[in-house]
Amino acid sequence: MTASNKPRVRPTLRSVLGRGHLSVALLAVGLAGVSLTLLGVLALRVYANHNLHLIARSINYTVEAAVVFDDSVAANEALELIARTEEVADAKVFNNDGEQLAHWQRNDDGLLGHLETQVATALLDEPINLPILHKQQKVGHIELIGQGRSLLLFMLSGLVGILFCTALSAFVALHLSRRLLGDIVRPLRALASVAHAARRERSFDRRVPEAPIAELNELGNDFNALLDELEVWHSHLQSENATLAHQASHDSLTGLPNRAFFEGRLSRSLRNAARQQGPMALLFLDSDHFKQINDSLGHAVGDEVLINVADRVRAQLREHDLVARLGGDEFAVLLTSLQSREDAERIAEKIIASMQLPMQLDSGGSISTSLSVGIAYYPDDGDNCASLLNAADAAMYQAKRTRRGQWHAAQTERSAAEIKNRS
Amino acid sequence: MTVAGGRKTGCVLSLLLAALLLLAGPAHAQGSVTAVQAQQRAKAVTQVVLGILSYARWPVEPVPLRLCLVGPTEYADDLIKGNLQNSGQPLQVRRLLAEDREMAQACDAVYIGKLDHGQRDRLFQAVSGHAVLSISEADDPCTVGSLFCLRVSDQQVAFEVNLDSVARSGVRIHPSVLQLSRPRAVQP
Repeated sequence: MTASNKPRVRPTLRSVLGRGHLSVALLAVGLAGVSLTLLGVLALRVYANHNLHLIARSINYTVEAAVVFDDSVAANEALELIARTEEVADAKVFNNDGEQLAHWQRNDDGLLGHLETQVATALLDEPINLPILHKQQKVGHIELIGQGRSLLLFMLSGLVGILFCTALSAFVALHLSRRLLGDIVRPLRALASVAHAARRERSFDRRVPEAPIAELNELGNDFNALLDELEVWHSHLQSENATLAHQASHDSLTGLPNRAFFEGRLSRSLRNAARQQGPMALLFLDSDHFKQINDSLGHAVGDEVLINVADRVRAQLREHDLVARLGGDEFAVLLTSLQSREDAERIAEKIIASMQLPMQLDSGGSISTSLSVGIAYYPDDGDNCASLLNAADAAMYQAKRTRRGQWHAAQTERSAAEIKNRS
Repeated sequence: MTVAGGRKTGCVLSLLLAALLLLAGPAHAQGSVTAVQAQQRAKAVTQVVLGILSYARWPVEPVPLRLCLVGPTEYADDLIKGNLQNSGQPLQVRRLLAEDREMAQACDAVYIGKLDHGQRDRLFQAVSGHAVLSISEADDPCTVGSLFCLRVSDQQVAFEVNLDSVARSGVRIHPSVLQLSRPRAVQP
């Protein structure tokens, strides 16, 4: 149970490749070496036996006369002459009565000699017993035991060869696997680094380089194509997001920020102003007679008027001032970093003045309109969004009531009373 | 008649030889050679003689091979009993007188016992020019005449070869036999 719960250690590509190469190489060398050595030993065994029989026969011919004449000395001489130079461990000559006429034995008591005896007894037909014939009559026989030196040397050299080839092929296999690993791992690393950069840093401009292996190259190309698509999709998404964000915070008709955006900016500016103790002014603008224009000339003209008003108001403001359309024909302006109340009043006058020129309509003809402006100051008329907006709204109504197309500054003490009266 | 006469003389000779042998027997008994040793030597000599015959080639292969024993022999008792060669071919052994004129025609091989110089010379004169293989049993310096000269001892029966005689006889001897021959240390 514990074994199944234990996380399995995954083998690395290097160890998999190395093990694969090594096992294939060892298997090939082992099979080839063992089979070649076995075949060689079998073939050599046949030849060694044949050779031993040839030696026996040549000994036979040489000692034949000596056996016929029962000449032990001559038989020994002849036997030694041949046996000494051949692979013979022990040779005996017997006459027909079974008496041993000659005997020769190799003096080889070393470790090698012992091994040779083992090999010879295991692999050779021993002892070879061959009758000595003279005039087609058996006159005696010889007994021969082979030495097995060449067999032993062959087996030893085969063993050494197998060991050497095994070591060499293991070395070569490891080297090859290392090279192959490089060919495989390099493209994979490049791929991983590009994928990492794309995921972490959203940098879709990097591409996977070409790889020497076809499959990896294909993978890299597919990955690059995927990155291309991702890049396109990402930029599309970003622009879409920007558009949506703009749409959510701006008025589609005039292109000015909407009420939500304005209130957000206002509250942020209030927080900043509270820290910096700088004066601010909030202007509330309302078009005079806009309802009549809308009713008499149609909504298209009304829209045109609103766009014209927005453009003219924006043209009067400094760069960091903000104008927004709060809804209908109501606009609001936020003036920050003011030196004095007079600055705000001057701007309000400029805005009112910008309306004096008649507006050229697309349908031909022109139309004049005017704005009533209410001004509320921070912190005199309120220190939060709602109170400032209320004060400016009240000042604007005050302006409309007294004289349209003029501005009016809020008077806080009276504002509440004015609102009460109005409601 | 001549044949009968020949047989008669043969019988007389045999009797004479037997008498000689009987006389000689005690003389040998006095020496180092005992009866058992003599038997062994005879056996060895038979083996060597049959061996030599088996390695010899006559211009015309004689069937049967006729071996003649000439003169008083010491170790030929076994030989005369045999009637087969090593090869299984028939062998005919008989005794002849040293002076036999028909020797060259009647024998393919001659086993020579003790003969005096005159007898020897006459014998070799008679066989010269014929393919006859001659083996001397004893005390032949092997310089003239015999092709093979036996050297009989208790350990071994060795032999020498007179290559000159071999070449002249017309009988071909296998080289193996020539190699086995032991020329005695050169004697003056």
